[in-house]
Amino acid sequence: MEPRHKMTFAIRQSIGIIAIACILAAGANLLRQESLPFAGNWSADSRLSDASGQSMVSTLAEASRMYTKGTAVFVDARPENQYAQGHIKDAVSLPWQQVHERFTETVDRLEAAETLICYCDGENCELSHDLALFLADMGFEDTRVLVNGWTVWKEAGLPTQSRNGNNE
Amino acid sequence: MNKLDFQKIEKTGFVFARILMGAVFLYASYDKILNPQAFAEAVYNYQILPDFAVNAVALALPWIELAAGLCLIIGIWLPGAALICALLMGVFTAALVFNQIRGLDVHCGCFTTQAAHGPAGMWTVIRDLCFLALSVYLLVRIVFVPHRKTAGAPGL
Repeated sequence: MEPRHKMTFAIRQSIGIIAIACILAAGANLLRQESLPFAGNWSADSRLSDASGQSMVSTLAEASRMYTKGTAVFVDARPENQYAQGHIKDAVSLPWQQVHERFTETVDRLEAAETLICYCDGENCELSHDLALFLADMGFEDTRVLVNGWTVWKEAGLPTQSRNGNNE
Repeated sequence: MNKLDFQKIEKTGFVFARILMGAVFLYASYDKILNPQAFAEAVYNYQILPDFAVNAVALALPWIELAAGLCLIIGIWLPGAALICALLMGVFTAALVFNQIRGLDVHCGCFTTQAAHGPAGMWTVIRDLCFLALSVYLLVRIVFVPHRKTAGAPGL
């Protein structure tokens, strides 16, 4: 058989294997108790939800209103060095990677707030969501996520500061 | 080393490479088939596919890996399985390199859906490049190298 025909043969076989695999995948998914929808909803509201499926997302307007009233504490889920470079003014640093070690030292400040607003940086940063779920698990009832928090807060010209105390 | 010895060693190496890649694909499929939701999140985090395609790919990909891996190990439909294997390794490596270049700290999702294994780094790319080289060797050996009937056959 010529190489061109051999390649055509390989392509046909691979299409056959993929077709069988897709049928098995669809069948197994339908038989699964918690089957995955074939076209999922990956919007922020859907991704960033609590255990009951309720969205944890806070808008920038809500977050800044609570900041002004002083009813919310902002919790920075990014690594310590990024927090040191700049953060939302008066935010508490609780890096997700060290959450178990650092939780006890921050708990007093967190308990003083009506609402906790977790943030990190980037549209798809999951640290703030993971942290919000952890805090909700620890009993903080009103815990929210400000998506892409550091960037949107800074771009809106809202108060920020760096570790050396410089307010901007 | 005479020609027959070399052919014997090459044939043993080929069978070893075929079974190794088959085992790699079987192992890679296992956790993803059991945890489709977690794997869908890993696929989403790559930020390469449109949202509507994430679940479909996350559902189908592990089964394609399983089927191709089984074919490689058992020794059936080898040209098709080798082609899938090489294409998938090419896509996986390209996706990893792409995200390394644009600085996205994504969890690999290669062999486990557990994010605790940390983000994919340079070593993950190097490992995938080795698997890609092995897959391309298998594809060339299976599809393009003429079959030898027996080691001692005349005309070899």
